[in-house]
Amino acid sequence: MMRETRIRRMPMALSALVALALAVLPLPAVLDAFRPDFLVLVVFYWCIESPRAGGLSLAFFSGLALDVIHGVVLGQHALALTLMGAWATNLRLRIRVFSMLSQCLVVFALLTGYQFVLFWVDGATGNPVTTFSRWLAPFIGALLWPVLIGVMGKVHER
Amino acid sequence: MVAFRSTEASGRPTGLLFRCVLYSLLALALIIVDKRFDHLGKIRRLLSVVAYPVQIAVASPFEGWHWFRDSVTTRDALRADKTRLEAELRVAQFRLQRYEALEAETVRLRALRDSTAGVTERFVIGDIMNVDLDAFRERVLVDKGAGDGIYVGQAVLDSGGVFGQVARVGQLTSEVILVSDPAHAIPVQINRNGLRTVAVGTGDINRLKLPYLPTSADVVAGDLLVTSGLGGGFPAGYPVGTIAEVKRDPAQSLADVDVKPAAALDRSKELLFVWLKPQAAELQPAPKPTPVPKK
Repeated sequence: MMRETRIRRMPMALSALVALALAVLPLPAVLDAFRPDFLVLVVFYWCIESPRAGGLSLAFFSGLALDVIHGVVLGQHALALTLMGAWATNLRLRIRVFSMLSQCLVVFALLTGYQFVLFWVDGATGNPVTTFSRWLAPFIGALLWPVLIGVMGKVHER
Repeated sequence: MVAFRSTEASGRPTGLLFRCVLYSLLALALIIVDKRFDHLGKIRRLLSVVAYPVQIAVASPFEGWHWFRDSVTTRDALRADKTRLEAELRVAQFRLQRYEALEAETVRLRALRDSTAGVTERFVIGDIMNVDLDAFRERVLVDKGAGDGIYVGQAVLDSGGVFGQVARVGQLTSEVILVSDPAHAIPVQINRNGLRTVAVGTGDINRLKLPYLPTSADVVAGDLLVTSGLGGGFPAGYPVGTIAEVKRDPAQSLADVDVKPAAALDRSKELLFVWLKPQAAELQPAPKPTPVPKK
């Protein structure tokens, strides 16, 4: 039990780091609005896959890293990611038996919730971003979910 | 399709609700403290140091590619570059001939009017790091930080004109908000007639707007906009942009003026951080310009 937990943390941290790098990878300005929230998807994956390995701590600290990197008010992404990570953990048993399509829909709901918390904090702190394109990321993220599961499954097997 | 393999997910994570509430409250507290008070500056600086390796790791392949391309350019390309640069230098030197005299004259005239606003003292060059920040805000990350003396609100120029100002300072890096960010405004005046107004960003990198000019204002397409130096943030007299289009609707009281930024906002790689000369206290009738300690 103890040994298992120790082994499981490594791919978790590594995949989070890679996702963080993808979040700041320079893209052409046109594609930038279409960038999916890689780190959020990875956090959801670990919340569902191994909830006892500390998915919620991962969510909080990943969110903090996103806050620092995006240069927004500290705690914004942390709050959104913690809330949605907890929701994902709560839904994990159902999600695991869902078909891929239903999984994507649930992930879409989670990502939309995530964006909504960001949107709300943006507004509450006085820097509202009202462009419609911010709601594109959940679509792309949900479409990417099957790919992510495949890749993460491979990583996890090692 | 079995996507998830591990069996321990059926086990209940201990204290999920407790942890969720704890972390959420912590995040909310962070948001409030960061927004309302200024105590988190140090923490943020430290965290930005932690984020630095990730940003370096992402930026380095691009830097490597640039370096590679630079080192394998052909002799012909170098010669062409050299010829072009020599021509540019000739023009620049020609323009510079009278600069010293003009600057001395400007300082003298300004001293007569008890204002030293807008005389630059020194500058530092910073490189834009090849990382994307927020997709919905026009900001860039630069590899100079508090360690180099950069401060929040500092004016940033590029070779074409005003680029933006420093929005946030980390220990090793700083964030520059572009003049085209919707949250950015800069005091300007029209070079032709000295008309003062404010240029506001639009979120479109190729466009600023002048929202506060009446329809009767003397402004035509092609006019050069320069910084007015009011407000003390920017040095006076640097180009901000040229008027691209003026739309006058007789039914409206304000004109709709589009400006094309002078700085190459989407192409510049090197930026200039500018320090202003210590200013006389503005709006106060002082007999002599009293120097304030430098920031």
